[in-house]
Amino acid sequence: MSFTQRPWSQMYAQVGINPELPAPQHQNLAQLIHESCTRWAKESQVKAAFTCVVPNGMNGSLGFAEVDALSDAFAGYLRSTLGLQRGDRVAVQLPNSLPYPVVAFGVLKAGCVLVNINPLYTVPEMVHQFNNCQAKVLVVVDMFANKLPEVLAQTSVKHIVLAGVPEFFPAIARGIIRGVQKVWSKVLPPVNVPHVRLQEALTQGRATLATQPAKSYWQDLKADDLAALQYTGGTTGVSKGAMLSHGNLLNNVQQMLAMGATHMTPGQECVLTALPLYHIFAFTANLLGFLVLGGHNILVPSPRPVQNLQRAVENYPLTWITGVNTLFNGLLNEEWFLAYPPKHLKASIAGGTALHSAVAQRWRDVTGTPIAEGYGLTETSPVVSFNPLSGEPRLGSIGIPAPGTDVRLVSEAGQDVSVDEPGEIWVRGPQVMQGYWQNEAETANVMQEGWFATGDIAVMDAKGFLRIVDRKKDMVLVSGFNVYPNEVEDVIAQLDAVLEVAVVGTPDERTGEAVRAYVVANPDHAGELRPEDVLAHCKHHLAAYKRPTSVVLRDELPKTPIGKVLRKDLKIEVQKEFKANSAARITAPTTTRPTSINAAAE
Amino acid sequence: MVTEFETKLLGVMMMVIMMGMGASLTWRDFLIAFRKPKGVLVGIFCQYGIMPFLGFALAMLLGLPPALAVGLILMACMPGGTTSNIFAYFSKGVLALSIMMTSVSTLVALVMVPALLEFYSQAAGISGDFKIPASNVAQVLVVLLVPTLIGMLLRRFSPNVGATIELLGGFLGIVVILFLVVTWIPRNHQLLTSTPWTVYFAAIGLGLIGMALGYGLARLLRQDAKRSRTIALETGIQNGPLAVLIVTLSFAGTMQQDILLIPVLYSLFIVISSSFVTMAFRRRSDREALARDKAKSGQLVAG
Repeated sequence: MSFTQRPWSQMYAQVGINPELPAPQHQNLAQLIHESCTRWAKESQVKAAFTCVVPNGMNGSLGFAEVDALSDAFAGYLRSTLGLQRGDRVAVQLPNSLPYPVVAFGVLKAGCVLVNINPLYTVPEMVHQFNNCQAKVLVVVDMFANKLPEVLAQTSVKHIVLAGVPEFFPAIARGIIRGVQKVWSKVLPPVNVPHVRLQEALTQGRATLATQPAKSYWQDLKADDLAALQYTGGTTGVSKGAMLSHGNLLNNVQQMLAMGATHMTPGQECVLTALPLYHIFAFTANLLGFLVLGGHNILVPSPRPVQNLQRAVENYPLTWITGVNTLFNGLLNEEWFLAYPPKHLKASIAGGTALHSAVAQRWRDVTGTPIAEGYGLTETSPVVSFNPLSGEPRLGSIGIPAPGTDVRLVSEAGQDVSVDEPGEIWVRGPQVMQGYWQNEAETANVMQEGWFATGDIAVMDAKGFLRIVDRKKDMVLVSGFNVYPNEVEDVIAQLDAVLEVAVVGTPDERTGEAVRAYVVANPDHAGELRPEDVLAHCKHHLAAYKRPTSVVLRDELPKTPIGKVLRKDLKIEVQKEFKANSAARITAPTTTRPTSINAAAE
Repeated sequence: MVTEFETKLLGVMMMVIMMGMGASLTWRDFLIAFRKPKGVLVGIFCQYGIMPFLGFALAMLLGLPPALAVGLILMACMPGGTTSNIFAYFSKGVLALSIMMTSVSTLVALVMVPALLEFYSQAAGISGDFKIPASNVAQVLVVLLVPTLIGMLLRRFSPNVGATIELLGGFLGIVVILFLVVTWIPRNHQLLTSTPWTVYFAAIGLGLIGMALGYGLARLLRQDAKRSRTIALETGIQNGPLAVLIVTLSFAGTMQQDILLIPVLYSLFIVISSSFVTMAFRRRSDREALARDKAKSGQLVAG
């Protein structure tokens, strides 16, 4: 099909989306943040810009003007107090909490580069990323300070700023939470490295603003200046820093808002931010998008167990929820959520990983509001495509490309495919990254003439709706047929007795590879899940070669911090299992396949 | 003998404790709990079915004199104590269930306690002088409902204030028991040394046997191990300070002193026995978690 004609463009009008992506009104993110805060401090009808809610309901809030002033102070601290230069990297390892917007906005206003790092990372992972980006400053949550001595010894990090989860809470609440963290749950380790607490850093930074206002650091930043290094691929071994510019993120915020506009009223939205802000999805959609919109961001430090969300859902008039399949599924299995689904909710967006159609359908039934699956990658800031919220729901589709985005589906031979034929998604648009940080080889692998090759296989229908078939590297090859785990998972997830499912390939002497399903039983249907039933259900819904040949019951599935199921970890288990088996039988052929899976994953 | 000032102080502390209990809940929590009421109903049955009968049976079997029998039966008829929530937390039980059982049994107490007290006092043949007037009990409970409701409102109005009061109430629950121990025991040490073993047996046994029966019943009704442990603690742990308050408001002089003996001893020993039970539960809970980890290699069925 002719992708240059943008076959999806006639859809925009039908679903109320402006097909023309307006040029960003701001030169850089700092200006966007400052002007949004200034405007909404006066005009927004929401109670606060950010509220952090801990599981027992205790909370703290920052208004628009406060976030603006505090982030100015942090910018002053970085540039004047510490003497950082424009473009220097600042690593940030914070859970969702009030320090996050203060610090992240401060880094951007300082003209420095924000490097978001998962706070749960192990020492070797931290060392790799700090050394790769040569960060000079690390802002880290105090709960993980115990890793610092080991990390600092091996990296170029010179300054440590410590922040706590209850920072900016009312004094008594802060005292109680810190007391509980320290005495009761013992999660505050002693800090054995030189450091400064965030509040102290802000005091020092604020003092510098009189002579050197924060604006002086950002006023001549341009769209193609680097804003963030967002590491990706960490789960496959070598992680690479996607270079996202101010322009990439400004444009993607516009694209996100254009797609959601039908269900958004500026100055009145309240969004649940349960996904971590260090992940690009929540960073762009929740942190930046809803700030521009003058909305209220409800930050939840840890969404697991999902019970932790109860007070946040009960106490705030949520109008939007962003999440991943696991989060929506988790909420739909909570008694309190089913009894009182948020009554002001307008819409939800799912990203990160495939939204199972059974979950999407139930979500619509329970909340009475649309849930749209979007698609994106770290390298694309992240939104590539999005299901329009108006119009009939299209289960299983990841929607049409966002305004201003070009998408092609390309065959293995490098040719554009026809309608309804699978091909690799290639993306071109203002949200596509500048490349991988100091990694020309990897950049050349994925970027060709402005197109970014995603590694995801999809089909497009005549109207331009995309449907993900699967990750290229997750495909299972059964007797020469491609089996896409997503499709099999979707079928198994229809069973009430199934809470979660993941499908991977196993070596098979007869068919090359065979399909295996890892299944977690739904506690509400305890004792009802039998592997035979799963097999029988699949027999009814799937062609023979797609059916699992083995079903493994599990208590839980390995997941990334945002809740994506890690098929990779399951594959490693499978490899070990079959290596042990074949070593015993000394028949080699079955072991060759898993190694090639692994090669494809790198 | 407890002075009037101490009685008042006790009353004020009870109000804070009840306010804390109210603040641990929202109205929605109740409505949600009653959508699947089995757990709560099992708890209520343990609280008002098993415990009062146990108190009555112990009083009869041990042949306690009327003053002590009244104290024991009163203690047995009390709703769940707020300290049970702390023990449920430390034993890695189901905190939400514990909070719910305490609150529901406290609300139901308004009807259940006067009725059960009347019934078992009759059955035990306790004469007029020693009888606790049902109206007194009801009055105290009504008065305590007010701070409970205030607590719930505070939680609604400000989750920060609510959660703070919840913690304060839990903390005071322990303080009150310590207060009873340090004010009452030194003045009555002679009484303690002359107290026969049957009284100690009743005071300690009420809690421990109650826990065992609560656990057994919960298991019988197919509650899982974790919920059953929570129900066990909840059943055994009664609201001791409330019983003390009712006694001090209903009796005076040596009679008050005699009737107070079992509630005070119970309050003291329940903290000790609950601590041991909690440690045992915690170990079992850890062992179960370990076993689950080991079983993660899963169960394989080839098709």
